[in-house]
Amino acid sequence: MRVRLSSVLITLATLLAGGAVAGAIVLYAGFYNISATHQHLRPTYWLLKIGLRESVQRRAREVVVPPLDDPRLAGRGLALYRAHCAQCHGAPGVAPDPFALGMTPAPANLAHAALERTPAELYWVLKNGIKMTGMPAWAFRLTERDLWSVVAFMRELPRISAEDYAARARATSAVDEAAAVSSEPTSGTGDAMRGKMALRQYACTTCHSIPGVVGDQAPVGPPLARIATRKYLGGVLVNTPENMVRWLRYPREVDPGTAMPNLGVSERDAWDMTAYLYTLK
Amino acid sequence: MIRHVRAKWLITYAAIFAGCSAEPELPQGVTGDPERGRLLLRQYGCGSCHAIPGVATARGNVGPPLDKIATRVYLGGVLPNTPGNMTRWIREPQKVDPLTAMPDLQVPEQHARDMIAYLYRLR
Repeated sequence: MRVRLSSVLITLATLLAGGAVAGAIVLYAGFYNISATHQHLRPTYWLLKIGLRESVQRRAREVVVPPLDDPRLAGRGLALYRAHCAQCHGAPGVAPDPFALGMTPAPANLAHAALERTPAELYWVLKNGIKMTGMPAWAFRLTERDLWSVVAFMRELPRISAEDYAARARATSAVDEAAAVSSEPTSGTGDAMRGKMALRQYACTTCHSIPGVVGDQAPVGPPLARIATRKYLGGVLVNTPENMVRWLRYPREVDPGTAMPNLGVSERDAWDMTAYLYTLK
Repeated sequence: MIRHVRAKWLITYAAIFAGCSAEPELPQGVTGDPERGRLLLRQYGCGSCHAIPGVATARGNVGPPLDKIATRVYLGGVLPNTPGNMTRWIREPQKVDPLTAMPDLQVPEQHARDMIAYLYRLR
């Protein structure tokens, strides 16, 4: 029997179209259970885990690891870990906060992660975060040195007992991070591409639609299309680069009535955001 | 007959995939005349500062554009978006936010009501 090429193609096209229709039905009928109380199927979980591991390994190859043995580095890392990591990941003898226990995927135990991953991989994950998990990127929150200090502390984590952790935590004072962030270089002219990333990293799209930035684009505040040529910012400030930076950093100081919160935007990040926003003519 | 059934299915599918509803739902308290409102928005020169869909010549970029203003959460960045607040904002913006660049245009209550009847259809 001869099979014609055309009938093969027709069969393939029919299967493809059928698959697309089935997929659309599953998608639009809401059959997929998005609930965080519903774990993935075992094969799905396995697949996602491999994807995560390989993606991180590939990207961490480029990372150059600095010396991490200075005990002061790990000491600062502990303070930062307590301030930003323990809430979700817990610590030896310390449970994660209740909200974190309800997350899917559950935040990893970092004593185990520190054994499984290289310092370069830990650094990469800390800095860039992991999409579709609760893991945020810290690139816009912590300096390079602070990122590495957390890695330095995490390397010690598997060898720290619950008793040791409690003792060391008691001896550690809270970190002064405002100083750390503002010591980052600033400039009068921003980097638009970095600014575009910063607009996402400060979650601007949860309230504003911003051309070129994919996100929720919720109409909480006004859309920022053509913001470069808009006359007033927040309805109160004449639109100049300096005022834009001021508004992005301290909207509540400029207009105490505004619903826009102060987001702790560093000066550098504000200049970079401004550079991007001024491309929206 | 067959054609009729087919058309019905098509409409059903279209509705499913577009997730559409025929009439935009208006919040309670919006009783003004939208057509009159559209006219008034032009008459008060709103368009010299705001871009307003459906209002010819309203292309200003002094304040924010008003497209989909019905779905916006805050008005003037300061007031929760309710019909009462929108009327208030249009009538006395400076009393709501003394810092705002939006001027008091001496809009009478009924005119403001008609304007919001139009604006709440922008979604």
